[in-house]
Amino acid sequence: MPNQQIIVLGLESSCDETAAAVVTAEKEILSNVVLSQNDAHAPFGGVVPEIAARAHVTEMDRLVDQAMTEAGVSYDDLSAVAATAGPGLIGGVLVGLMTAKAIASVAGVPLIGVNHLEGHALTARLTDDVAFPYLLLLVSGGHSQVLVVEGVGKYRRLGTTIDDAVGEAFDKTAKMLELGFPGGPAVEKTAATGNPDRFNFPRPMKGREGCNFSFSGLKTAVRQAREKMGEKVSETDIADLAASFQKAAVESLMDRVAKALDLFIEEYGGGGTLVVAGGVAANQYLKGALETLAREKSVALKVPPPKLCTDNGAMIAWAGIERLKCGFSDGLDLAARARWPLDPNAEPAPFAGYKA
Amino acid sequence: MKILAFDTALNACSVAVADGNNILAHDHENRRRGHAEALLPMIEAQMKSAAMIYKDLDLIAVTVGPGTFTGLRIGLAAARGIAVAAKKPVIGITTLEALAAAVPVLATKGRAIIATADARRGEVYIQAFNRLQKDEEISPIDAPAAIKTEQALASLDIETAVLVGSGARLLENMPGFDAEAYKILNLPDDPDAVDLVRLAAVRGLPAPYAPPPAPLYLRAPDAKLPGGKDPVAN
Repeated sequence: MPNQQIIVLGLESSCDETAAAVVTAEKEILSNVVLSQNDAHAPFGGVVPEIAARAHVTEMDRLVDQAMTEAGVSYDDLSAVAATAGPGLIGGVLVGLMTAKAIASVAGVPLIGVNHLEGHALTARLTDDVAFPYLLLLVSGGHSQVLVVEGVGKYRRLGTTIDDAVGEAFDKTAKMLELGFPGGPAVEKTAATGNPDRFNFPRPMKGREGCNFSFSGLKTAVRQAREKMGEKVSETDIADLAASFQKAAVESLMDRVAKALDLFIEEYGGGGTLVVAGGVAANQYLKGALETLAREKSVALKVPPPKLCTDNGAMIAWAGIERLKCGFSDGLDLAARARWPLDPNAEPAPFAGYKA
Repeated sequence: MKILAFDTALNACSVAVADGNNILAHDHENRRRGHAEALLPMIEAQMKSAAMIYKDLDLIAVTVGPGTFTGLRIGLAAARGIAVAAKKPVIGITTLEALAAAVPVLATKGRAIIATADARRGEVYIQAFNRLQKDEEISPIDAPAAIKTEQALASLDIETAVLVGSGARLLENMPGFDAEAYKILNLPDDPDAVDLVRLAAVRGLPAPYAPPPAPLYLRAPDAKLPGGKDPVAN
């Protein structure tokens, strides 16, 4: 491999995936290894932070070695080591960050602390060469935000959740309906056979000013509907609940994204791109609704492939490459951050914590 | 044998670089938080001071706990990261072993050593050792455990011992503490990387293909199953 090539190892451990990947500045993903902890968290119906951190520390070095071996590069070939430095579950973030610091020190290359959200935000530039600026809808178990991506490190948040993330609403709905964990795919699968119009659940924030999201009230409405049905509940009932929930959640999202697109077009002109990232972007019902919306607003829609939408190391390595090319790197005294908004000027959403 | 050893599992950040028992560089600071920020710069400074690069090392030694969950993972992740990138073996040493190893042979006067650390929530981490005269090794009398402070000494069934670590003063405050039978030594409360080096030098390289050291938590994660049930501890 030529010496001049930029090759970056990226580590991700901010939630319940332990991941490592090797990516080049020429947008080649040389390896992308992801170990999901689903089985460890499934009995609890959600991610347990201490269980996640324990799993990360026993697997991270092995995954790094696997990623390096699959990529066919040696540690001396690396240009930098990137790792998620936040936001997320701090115990896990620290495992990836410390591993990255150690490798950067041994290889004698820069450390790049990546904002996990910037990893998601820049993925469409790795997969689809999307130019700045573009509108980003970030929807995952931990985050629901709509942002203008103006450049590397330059974000303007137009909206965020004021309570739960949309993926969290899917997970909690799955838990209430006993569909298993992770909830997103389970709800989508069950909803496919249900009647989305049987329950008239609220469309939170629909028609309101601004672009903020809220999913807590919808979650409560699903719980109340489920409780009212009592013990005698058929498979059809459950499917109808899931379908009606999914429709309400997606309609609420579409209302907010439409508003954000209007703002974006007003300020930056038409013909731009709407990028979707985060685990919920894998939901095909959501994707269909977004395609319709993008056509209406005459913007291009880019949704990276599912394995680059859910948490992964390639997006962290790529964000590291983008930052490295801008001349950014970090010292080995870099601190992990549980909360780290992409847009530091955005108003905090006090009930959403790190999700905002 | 060239050794890099460090600890971040309790209330210190401690790093030593050595050639066998000969300490070439050493730094130790009391630190309740901020280990993740301090550790790698400290390691780099000590490696430089010892005029060594990672490739020169034969062995890395790190504390695996018991201690703060976050603290022990900071050290372990760093040690395993260095090991994987530099292709060097790494061994784990418990914080209680390191505390016991800090006790001079003469100070024991033939008594057992009880190493104990504050485990919070009314518990101490505790383990008893014998110090062998012939070398720097210590031999455990029982397994390490997290035990209610008021039951800890009784659980060991040891008549007389010297005590080391932050748990000693917690035990001293328990009703019925026998100050004649249990002598609290005036030693630092936290593991020192110098003692890790001494143990690592005695124990030597791990077996080829041995798995990397695992954390020693001694406590299940705080998590309840649906319905408020406790998961089975592992």
